[in-house]
Amino acid sequence: MRISAAEPLLDVRGLNSGYGKIVVLHGVDINVHKGEVVALLGPNGAGKTTLLRAISGLLPWNAGSVHFGGRDLSGVGPRESARAGLAHVIEGHRIFTQQSVTDNLLLAAYDVSQHERMVRVEEALSYFPEIAAKRREPGSSLSGGQQQMLAVAQGLVRRPKLLMLDEPSAGLSPVLVDRVLTVVARLRETGTAVLLVEQLIEKALAVADRVYALARGTVVLEAGAAEVGLAGRLENAYFGTRVTEFSAAM
Amino acid sequence: MSGVSDAVERVSTNDVRERLRNASASMVPLVAIFVVALAVPVFSNDYWVLIASRTAIYWLLVGALNLVVGFAGQLAIGYVAILTLGAYVTTILSAGNVSPPVPPVIALAIAGVAGSVFGVIVGLPALRLRTFYFAISTFGFATIVTQIALAWQSVTGGGIGLPGPEFPAPFDTRSGFYFLCLGCAAVCTWMTANVAHSRFGRALVAIRDAEVAAEAAGISKAKLLVMVFVFTGAAAAMAGGLFASLQTYITPDAFTFDLSILFFISILIGGRGSILGPMLGTIILTLLPEFAAPLAAWSTFLYACLLLGVVLAVPGGIAALLDFRNRKPLDQHRAIVPRADVISEVLRPSQMKESLTLSDIVLSFGGVRAVDGVDLDIRPAQIHGLIGPNGSGKTTILNIISGYYRPQSGEVTVGGETLPAGRPATRAALGIARTFQTPRIIGEASVIENVMIGGTINGCGTFAEALLMLPRGRRDEAMLRQMGLLVLRSVGLDSLADVRADRLQHSELRFVEIARALMSQPAFILLDEPAAGLAPDEIRRLGELIREIVRRGVGVLLVEHHADLIFDICHQVTVLNLGRVLAAGTPAEIRVHKEVVSAYLGG
Amino acid sequence: MIGSILASGLAVGAVYALIGVTYNTMFSASRVISFTAGMLGMLGGVFGSLFILRLGLPVPVGFVLTMGCCALVGVITEFVAVRPVLKSLDQHLYVLSTLALSLMIQQLVATEWSTEPQRFPRLFDIGSGLLDEKFWLPIVACAVGMGALDLLYRHTLVGKAFLAIAEDNFAARALGLPERNLRIASYALAAIIGAFAGFAGGELLLAFVANGALLNFYGFVPVALGGLGSNRGAVVAGLALGIYQQAANFVVGGIFASVAVFAIFIILLLAAPQGLFGAPAVRRV
Repeated sequence: MRISAAEPLLDVRGLNSGYGKIVVLHGVDINVHKGEVVALLGPNGAGKTTLLRAISGLLPWNAGSVHFGGRDLSGVGPRESARAGLAHVIEGHRIFTQQSVTDNLLLAAYDVSQHERMVRVEEALSYFPEIAAKRREPGSSLSGGQQQMLAVAQGLVRRPKLLMLDEPSAGLSPVLVDRVLTVVARLRETGTAVLLVEQLIEKALAVADRVYALARGTVVLEAGAAEVGLAGRLENAYFGTRVTEFSAAM
Repeated sequence: MSGVSDAVERVSTNDVRERLRNASASMVPLVAIFVVALAVPVFSNDYWVLIASRTAIYWLLVGALNLVVGFAGQLAIGYVAILTLGAYVTTILSAGNVSPPVPPVIALAIAGVAGSVFGVIVGLPALRLRTFYFAISTFGFATIVTQIALAWQSVTGGGIGLPGPEFPAPFDTRSGFYFLCLGCAAVCTWMTANVAHSRFGRALVAIRDAEVAAEAAGISKAKLLVMVFVFTGAAAAMAGGLFASLQTYITPDAFTFDLSILFFISILIGGRGSILGPMLGTIILTLLPEFAAPLAAWSTFLYACLLLGVVLAVPGGIAALLDFRNRKPLDQHRAIVPRADVISEVLRPSQMKESLTLSDIVLSFGGVRAVDGVDLDIRPAQIHGLIGPNGSGKTTILNIISGYYRPQSGEVTVGGETLPAGRPATRAALGIARTFQTPRIIGEASVIENVMIGGTINGCGTFAEALLMLPRGRRDEAMLRQMGLLVLRSVGLDSLADVRADRLQHSELRFVEIARALMSQPAFILLDEPAAGLAPDEIRRLGELIREIVRRGVGVLLVEHHADLIFDICHQVTVLNLGRVLAAGTPAEIRVHKEVVSAYLGG
Repeated sequence: MIGSILASGLAVGAVYALIGVTYNTMFSASRVISFTAGMLGMLGGVFGSLFILRLGLPVPVGFVLTMGCCALVGVITEFVAVRPVLKSLDQHLYVLSTLALSLMIQQLVATEWSTEPQRFPRLFDIGSGLLDEKFWLPIVACAVGMGALDLLYRHTLVGKAFLAIAEDNFAARALGLPERNLRIASYALAAIIGAFAGFAGGELLLAFVANGALLNFYGFVPVALGGLGSNRGAVVAGLALGIYQQAANFVVGGIFASVAVFAIFIILLLAAPQGLFGAPAVRRV
């Protein structure tokens, strides 16, 4: 199904979701266009992780709509959304520590036809030579940063149209964070869109085209990443409407 | 100080009338069934009197077992072991195999004592083992007892068995014996109902459904369960003695695992936490095979189908089907309106002048330092905010203060006295109460019952006094209920007092937790993200409530993400990052602290 | 006498070990300990006897049909007793649902088949005395079974997917693995392992409905002692249990042997609730 350049690849409108009785998202609207890198920022508890989980189908949502590549994703689980080209790398670099690097990637390629699998695995490993060297070793022998790279590689195995990364920098040293974000920039060049949830604002802004800020379950800010005075506006969004002299000094 | 008792008395007269109405309403069906049962010998023949006697004996066991399985939630599937024990002890003593013959009634009493001891032995693993493991261990006990009965031929007659005891007049006729069984069952039912409506009954359900919150309220699982095992063991063993007399001749074959299953399933079909439900369940399951021969052959299959049906379709059992009160729709547009002014009637002014202090706390999980040398000082009559990014150690700190986690170094002290680490049930008595990030509420119980659990340690009456409904137990109940209503009024939820807690919205449950924490008259309250999921006006009212609580001298530790609330009401704020204190000071100081803003915004 | 104890002990221990593996396989897929594990062992013997002796089918056909029927029972377990209760927060419901299902299976077999032990066919007619088929067959079955499982987990993608689901169910789901289908397949696999144990142990234990409850218990002891989820622990503990039980049989006699087993089990479990090889569970508050 052809979509015009103006139509977003991912179109989320009025999304409501939560855990049991606890409503976390109150009508969220965001979109991501083909080949664009969008950063999703916000304080803890704002609902960023919940939003990603709702989009990929890990969490059910009860109001609103999610369209991906023109297709309606309501009631669709993570397996189908992955097949449709939406890869979700969850937070916490949760790879399978009992299995080898190659096996972790083969599992990501479960739905890919058998003869294609190793091709995809090698392709994903080419982004991260550090772990390509450790392909036969178990996941438990990788450092935290390497595990995160493996997790991102798992997302890439499917050659996704949109890659959603949930806090890839968490617990990583600055060098490794840069390493991961370099890959994000490279992906943009290949035409892969990226939705990046991050705590590190400066690094996220450096690699993103556009940015959303989420607070208390709704979008409180939407802007281009290069806009002037963005940092101050973000601080307001995080800490509420109070403005201090400090933001001027930033 | 007089304000508290005055308010309590004002509530009392109306409430006593309502309480009597509620209590009698729940007892009516039970009494009705017993009255009908009295009429059985009059209207039917010997065979049905026999069946009714068997039903009464089973109910004597099941009614007591209900406290273990239904209320405490311990899956004791092998309880026929104690029935067997009681049957053999009574029979052997009255037959005079090993001692001079003992009058059957005395033998029955001795069997009861033996049953208590054995009941504790069978039940104790529940304190160490998880659900399935405990179930299997009781199955093991059931088999051991049967095997011993088979093997110890000199005493038990082995596979051949022994003639059962005969009770003296007037219990030697069919009807007479039936009335004996019925009487025992009635007394047992009365006692379990007393326990159910006491702080012990609520504590049992708390252990079952919200163990963490129960510990925070000061409930000691071990002590409580042991008392229940003693009672249930005695009842089950006496049921065994009566059973032996009913059968007139006992062999190990009579005590099949199927019988154990019958007892167990009766409770679950009837519904946990209810007395009427399991009673109806026992009657139905015991009588069902009598109505058709195929039903008798397939009885266990039928019981299993019913159990599966209940688990899948109506987990609350018959009790849930009969719960008409909770079918009434609730007002959709209800708002939570806390009455901060009522707080002065609820809380006595705190006598605590000392701080709750954390000194250099260190705790690692695996290789990660969750808390890395944290100092914290919570002063009475002050609100101390604790903020920080996810994973900074806030909830871990709360759990250390509460006693769930044991720090590797450092200590928590109140006025110089160190709080025992790893023992959460001690905190309530030491004046520390808390709420939880995800509300830990007993869904099946009413709102006020949930709140009353917070005051469990305020009661003075013992388990025995509750069992027999002696005055001190009754006074405890009245006091707890009155205080519960007051506390609910202060948080604005008194109109929902008798509603099942799982029908409430998430935001209301947060206030229920606060109400529960207030019940124990704490010196310090720890609040874990109380504003999460609340609407802005609810957050404002929450702030007022917390301020009023603090005005009574209570020290509050507030863990929150809502920056507005923190900066609004806190006197002191500590910021955590990666397990360490990043900054500490007044809200104004923290707000402009460069590193704090940076930690939140990243960089 | 020692030879006798070893032969019968290892044989029955091998059956217990495989039932332990059945429990573990169901647990790895769903975090549920199912009361149907022992029943599947019983069904392996009963179906084997039914197809080969009563219906006169050739041994390989009877074997395949037995595995197939039990796999079906495994799938039914997942549908009826496991999936509906996974959604609920109430931990205890799976104990009740699987207990109910296992009772139903037991009653059906007791009524439609027999309450008495029935003969199990002689499969290969190789060996006699201490080397009789009824002793070496379960041991060989255990070795073959463990070898096949190892092949599955290490060299097939499906097997690796099973391991992934067992290690981190949520991450597996997020990765796009067909978690539901894999769970159903795990239950079918677990059922086949249990049936395999019952079939191989048929000459030793006979086709007897009471085996269900017995295997439920004796098959769980290796799991409890070896650590939940550890197949190696289950095999070691299962074989040890078998030898201990047979030794107790010879020394103190049948009835007290089971008392001895129960007593040891409860004592060891209380001393180490997570199993002798398991890791203590940290309570999340």
